[in-house]
This record gives sequence, C-alpha cells and structure tokens, in this order.
Amino acid sequence: MIDQPVLFCLHYLGGSARTWRPLAERLGPHARCVGIDLPGFGDEAHKPGGDVAAMADHVAARITAEAPPGPWLIAGNSMGAKVALVLARRHEDGDPALAGLAGLVLLAGSPPAPEPMAEERRQAMIAWIDADPETRQREAEGFVSGNVGAPLDPEDHACAVEDVLRANPDAWKAWLAGGANEDWRERIGVLSIPALVVSGAEDGDLGPESQAALTLPHLARQRHEVAPGAGHLLPLERPEMLAALILAMLTAPPRAAQAPTLPPAFAALMSSDRVNTRLRSTLRERMREPDGPFCLGTDERATLAACLDRVLPQTGPGRIDLARRIDARLAGGTGDGWRFVALPPDPKAYARALRSLDGAAREAHGRPFTALGGAEQDALLDRATSGDLPEVAGGLDPDLMTCWFEELRGEAVRTFLAHPAGLAAIGFTGIGAGGDEADALPGYRLTYLNEREAWEAPVLEAAGDAR
Amino acid sequence: MNLSGQRRYGTDEVVDVVVVGTGAGGAPLLAELAAAGLKVVALEAGPNFDPAAYGFDETLADEIYWTEERLSGGSTPEAFGANNSGTGVGGSTLHWGAFVPRADPRDFRLNTESGEGCDWPIDHAELVPFYDRVEAFIGTSGPTPYPWDEARRFPLPPVLRNGPAQLMASACDRLGIAATDAPAAVVSRDFTVDPSVPERKACINCGFCHQGCRTRAKASMDVTYLPLAVARGAEIRSDARMHGVERDKAGRITAVIYRSGGRDHRQLCAHLILCAGAVETPRLLLHLDLATGSGQVGRNYIGHVATQVWGTFADEVGMNRGYPSSLITEDFTRPKGADFAGGYLVQSLGVEPLTWANSVARGRGLWGRALTDYLKQYNRVAGIGINGETLPCDANVLTLSDETDALGMRKAQIDFGYGSNEDALNRHATKLMREIWEAAGAQDVWVLERVAHTLGTCRMGRNPDASVVDAVGRSHEVENLWICDGSVFPSSLAANPALTIMALSLRTAGAFLKGNR
Repeated sequence: MIDQPVLFCLHYLGGSARTWRPLAERLGPHARCVGIDLPGFGDEAHKPGGDVAAMADHVAARITAEAPPGPWLIAGNSMGAKVALVLARRHEDGDPALAGLAGLVLLAGSPPAPEPMAEERRQAMIAWIDADPETRQREAEGFVSGNVGAPLDPEDHACAVEDVLRANPDAWKAWLAGGANEDWRERIGVLSIPALVVSGAEDGDLGPESQAALTLPHLARQRHEVAPGAGHLLPLERPEMLAALILAMLTAPPRAAQAPTLPPAFAALMSSDRVNTRLRSTLRERMREPDGPFCLGTDERATLAACLDRVLPQTGPGRIDLARRIDARLAGGTGDGWRFVALPPDPKAYARALRSLDGAAREAHGRPFTALGGAEQDALLDRATSGDLPEVAGGLDPDLMTCWFEELRGEAVRTFLAHPAGLAAIGFTGIGAGGDEADALPGYRLTYLNEREAWEAPVLEAAGDAR
Repeated sequence: MNLSGQRRYGTDEVVDVVVVGTGAGGAPLLAELAAAGLKVVALEAGPNFDPAAYGFDETLADEIYWTEERLSGGSTPEAFGANNSGTGVGGSTLHWGAFVPRADPRDFRLNTESGEGCDWPIDHAELVPFYDRVEAFIGTSGPTPYPWDEARRFPLPPVLRNGPAQLMASACDRLGIAATDAPAAVVSRDFTVDPSVPERKACINCGFCHQGCRTRAKASMDVTYLPLAVARGAEIRSDARMHGVERDKAGRITAVIYRSGGRDHRQLCAHLILCAGAVETPRLLLHLDLATGSGQVGRNYIGHVATQVWGTFADEVGMNRGYPSSLITEDFTRPKGADFAGGYLVQSLGVEPLTWANSVARGRGLWGRALTDYLKQYNRVAGIGINGETLPCDANVLTLSDETDALGMRKAQIDFGYGSNEDALNRHATKLMREIWEAAGAQDVWVLERVAHTLGTCRMGRNPDASVVDAVGRSHEVENLWICDGSVFPSSLAANPALTIMALSLRTAGAFLKGNR
C-alpha cells in the first residue's frame, strides 16, 4: 500500500501540465497530481527543449524543488513515459534525489527503443510545425483528433490544440528528430520498480502490441492494461479508468511481470497493414484480461488456475490468465456448439469437477489442490484422466472426469492461442494474410515446403526452431 | 451478400415455396425455382455476412458456426459447432472445406454389392448431369484428366499444392499409390459464370477456407447460387429462425412461423422445403410432429469416419498456407482384400492453429510440458486424413433432449457410434496412413480419431415405412413438404457430401417443377 503519494505527471509531445487535470480531479485526495511542463512545452515553451537526458534533469530538479514528503510516483504519457523510464533507472542506480520513487505509470509510452513511427509521418510533422498559421492550426487539429479513439470533449480538444500550437517548434523537432530515436534499451535494462502500463486499443504506433514488445521486457514487476476504444492521449481519453487503475496499483503494486511480452517481430507484423483492422483490434482486446462477469467461486477459480498451470504451463515472463478468461466464458454462456451428453452444462460441470479435484487432494494429502506441489497435482490429474479419482460430495462422477478433463485441455489451448502471445510462441504468420483492401489481399504467394516469404521470416526466426 | 435490391413478398401473400436454410441443399433449388418464375422465400436462421469482413481468425469465425448447444452421446460422440455446422446466408458452405470428390457409383448400390448398408433409390448415372451443371456453375479446380473418373472435366486448373500435399505426393509415389491434385470448389483463376453473379477473383492461398473466404474464391452459396436466386426473383430473409407451421385439415402446410427481430412472423405458403441440415431438419420435424408417422425421422444418423494421422517433419511445412487439402487419392474406394464394405478417400491436411491444438489437447491427450513443447512444432507438422463410408445403424439416432434452447425448443441429442464395418475400415485406413506418413519421413506419428459431417435422419427411399422422403425428396406423409439436405442420405457415401447435396438440390428442384406445374 502506497499512502497518499504525489504523482508527478509528464505529458505527451505537444501536451502540457494541464493535460492531467481530468485525472487529477478523479484521483482526488488519494494521490496528488503534479503536472510538469517539459522543456519547450506549456509554460516552459520559451525553452528550446532537449534530449531525453535533459528532460529527465529538468524533471528531477522540479521534483527536488517540490520535496514530496512521502513516497511518490511518476506518470508519463508517450514522450513523458520515456523520460519516466530514465528517471526510474537513475533511481535504481542510487540517485539520492530520486530515492522516494515508488512506482511508474506508463501511458501509451514511448519505449526505451527508438519509437516505431513511419518516416514519412515524422517528416510531415517536422515540416508543419514551422508552417503558416493556417496550416499549423489545421495540422494541430488533425494531430489531436488523429491520436484519440473517439472525439474528445470540445473543451479538452480545444485545450489540446492550443497546447500544440504554443509548443516551441524547436522542442517539437528535438523530440521527433532526436529524443524519440534515442536508443535507451541497454541503459534502461530491466527495472524492478512496480509499473502500471496502459495502452489504447486504437492507438497507432504505440498500441498494446508495441507495449508488450518494447516496454514490458524492461519491467520485472508490471501490469499491462488495454483501454478498449482509446487512442494515444489516455489522460484526456480515459481519466476514470486510469484513476481506478492507479488506485488499484497503490493498494497492491504488481509483484511480478504479470502480462506476457510479445516478440518485436510479431508485434511489428500485427501493427502492419498486412493485418486487417478487425483482426488487429480483436487481438489487442484479447491482450486485456476480462472484467467479468464471472461465475466460479473463489476456491473453484483458484483450483482452476492451479490446474491450468499444470495443463498448459507458461514459462513467462508474464502470463495469460487462462482461468480468468475461461471463468468469463462460462459466465457469458457462449459455447462451441456441443457437449458430451453425460456432462452437465459447462458452468456446473466445471464447478463440480474442480470440487472433485480439490476434494481428492484433501483426501490424499490433507491439503487443498492449490497447496500441493506440481508432482502431486499431476498425479491427481493423471487419475482424473483414467477416471479413478474418489467420489467427492458435490463433485463430478469419477468416470466423467475423463470427459471434463478433455474439455478443459481443449479450452486451455484455444484460449491460449486466441492471444497474440500464443500465436507468436508457435510462429504463426497467418494473421498477415491480408489487410483491409478486400480486392487486393496478398495471401501467400509461396506455399511449398521450406519456402518463406520475406515478411514472414522475422516472426519465424523469433519463434526459434519452429519452421 | 448484397440483398439490397432483392424482390420482397408480403407475409400474407401465399408464396409458392418457403425454403428453410440457404446452404448446399437450399441454395441451388432456390435459384432453380426462382428462375422458373415461382415466388420463393428463403428463411435463414443466421445473419447475412459481408465476406470482406471475415477476420482471418479462428475465434472470430465462431460467427459462421452453429454454436447453439447440441448433446453428443454414443460410443464415438461427434463434435459439432466448428467441426461441421454452419449458420448465416450460405449455411455450412460458409465454412466448408470445398473438397469436391464426386460420389463413387458403387457407393449407391452398396447393399447389392456387399449385403451391408442400403442402396440409394437413385443411380449415380442420374446424378452425373447435375454434378456437371453444379461444377460448371460454382467453378471447380482440379486435374483433367482425373485418374479415377475419365469423364470428369474441371473448368479450372488445380489450386497450388501446399507442404502437406507435397509430402503426401512424394510418399504415395514411392509406395505406388496414385495421388493427384484435389478436386476443389475454389477458383484457381478469376472466374465469371453468369452476369448476375459478381466475378470471383482467384484464390490467394490464405488457408482460411474454414473461417470464411474473404476473397470469395471459395464457392460458398452466398457467392454462387444465392446471387443467382436473388437476380431471378427470390427473397432471402436472414436472422429468420423457423420454429413452427400451420396446417389445414388435410394436414397440408399453409404457413411457416419464424422468429425474427425478437417476434414471430407468419409466412403463408403453398409448399415448404426444409434444407436445414441433418440435425436441424429432423429436430424441426420432431418438434412439430411433422412426417413422423413412420418413426423414421431422426433414425440412421450418419457421420463419416474421418480419422487423421499426424507427424512432424524435418522440413518447414507451414501447413496453414494454401488450400488445406490440396492432394487426394481415391485408390482406396474399394481396397483389395478389405474385410469391410465400402471404402474411403485420403487427403492431405493443413490445419489452422486453434483447430490443430484443440485436436492435440483433446485427441492426443497431451498436457503439461509435453503439450507446450509440441505446440511449438506447429510449423513442422502435417497431417493426412480420410473420409470413409459409414453404414446406417439403428443405434445411431437423433432425438430431442429434455433441455430446451432460448426459443423453448428441445435441444437435439445425437447418439453416434461406429459399428464393426466402421471399425474395420478405420483400422485399414489408419494402417495405410501410417505407412504413407512414415514413407514421407514423419516422426512422432499419432492418430486422431475423428467423426465428420452430419448426414441421415430423414432418409430417402421407395418404401414409406422405411424412409421419410421419396427418391426426389418429397415427404411420404405430408403432401406439400419436401426435404433437401444431407439428412436425406440413406448411407454416407465415401465422398465428402456437399457437392452431392448440391446435385441433389438441382434434381429435387426439377422434380418439384415437374410435379407442380
């Protein structure tokens, strides 16, 4: 539990301290937001801006001046997130001025690696910032509306456009031509500070797959949340959601890498125009753990999670919460079109089967299934497969456990492979069969043994021996 | 498909025919009847899809599968849903594999030949002109000449082979088995057949045939017969779930009741043709107590023996690329020295990852580290599989369960199990497939027991006591009721069924027009 911390907030390119007002209002007394204008932006627009290290110096000085009384956190959106990562590295390297840093909130963050961005767009942005007022106004409008999933409240939109227009063009260009391209991967390494990572499902270059590929590998203790329908300007688009996630993080900071990472090659394919928009949005939403409703009891869910760890072990770092997803599917009532007639409907079959497993564990070892070692759990699952678990009150008939365990195995792999991390792990390139132009889908030109197309190669190589 | 300009009929207008279901059974006859000037309305339980919006994803493809729950019993319970049951305008052809062997002539006289199973009331020769017409219209790709049928001509050259096909071809060559490019209802070249049916571009080898064809290269009904039907004046109502009928004193059907938009509608009609497939057609008949006098509805449910053999190769296979089943051998339609009636076809198999992994987890029974390690072999595995004759049998039956669905209709329960003939055929085929795969260099070979397709339950026959419809699909009991789908099959035939269902559909349409003019 981190009690009433200060949250120092670092804005996106063209934003300012006031970008954080909606979030500050919603966090209220639980955490005090202190928005900081980065050099060249907001009230610091008279400054020319600088590289990432210079921005970090600027922020460190502000934090020192602010002298927060207790532990504090840094939130960064996009450009601001890269600065936050650098400060976290300095903290872990023992910088006494940053000793109080207790957590990171990285929102659609620019990663330690050079930011993925089309060169054409970069050059266009560098050009229009110095153009005539009419062009600047038009482009600034387009920049703000192009970076959100749905139109902002008109007042927030107007503020955001005004912030872009008051930014120092030199600072704007310094980021696009410099800071965004700086490679901090080696220097940042792997941070152990707890971090909340949030991405927008409709973000262009820094969406969920980019975060999973480029940011999560640098964080040993992270939670990654995907904001459905949101774009890049998350503090303006999703202040409620962010406030709730930040409060949850203060209560229980992540202790391990929770979300699975993606190989950069798979993330790049997923972001490319070889993947259709419907599929990309769907894969991104599947990177988010479902909110419910759920139907299993707490003990049943725990037994299911323990069981799935044995059925489909995930080596990490990070893992897909298969039990949570299956529980949500059971509660949603959707199915695959059939079930064994001998089994009761799915939710009941699961609840009973899990009770059987847990009861068998208690009978054999005097402990719940979740408290057993892996080998003991495997032995019970082996007995379930052969139908010779004991009868348990409220459980499933021993011979039906065979059918249920078959169902569970199928559901585990289907759930795993619906997630991009699952597809990436097996080196699947089929998502790249074609984008949005239905009349000009590329498909596969090569289908013979041992033939690879150029666009497939990085994904296949990242999956190791596969193909 | 585009339904915007279609003709509309009033529900109080007595249309000549209501067709229930728009798949391989319903679509061709809908086009035929409309072209003959009849007022025809098709009711499709599922939505109307835009193929361009399919997602190239197995989970998204749930939208084209019939995922309302069915109960599977018997000694070899069959999987439904994505395994064989579709929904939407186009029915199961939205997800079918488009593998189009013609039925073997001997399979129609199996009882005469072997004393097992039963003969069809029609002869293969009667179907040939209908096969020809269907293939010319939907655009089939394959090798001409075709080794097992000299008369067969494919309008288009074969689709590209993929890795599993190459592996099977070289192994068959070594073993002296004839194997060649598959007969596929996928256009290998840009294809136009009729001005009222939009051009279909050549297959792009994406491999997602079973998830809905985004380019319309695969011959689903919504890109072939249904646009033709609409151009000839048929109306197709999607999201229209038939669940009732009204009948007059003589027992003739006078109206069809269907649920759409949350309420019931009543369409007056002179005739009803049920084309809802071998599960939903008998389920409706049993639910409505229609044509049940002989006690035959629901009986003789049939699947196909569809066992697969899998192996891991030194080659990079990448089996998701290309048309999934691009090689065939028909050398085993009557294996020499076999101890069973009938025979089977063998095809090469490439399978998308969820479907494959589901088979591995359920069918191979792997879990734990063995499972995760094996899944990572995805790009090095390939399969071969069969489609084998299944005889009708008293124990294999569709009944109504006590559980009900959202409409209050009782769910279907399907009991299915192999008899001794299927077991013997399966042993023979499994041994052969192992030999082929070992000759191909496969390691870590394993067998997936699997049942495919849904057939039987309303079989056709001359004897009203032993069948539900006559040889052209007309009910023995209800004068203005017809059936045309896989449910009328008296036996499974070794061939995959959809092409034969389409041929039967044209034939039923002809008989209907002849008898009702």
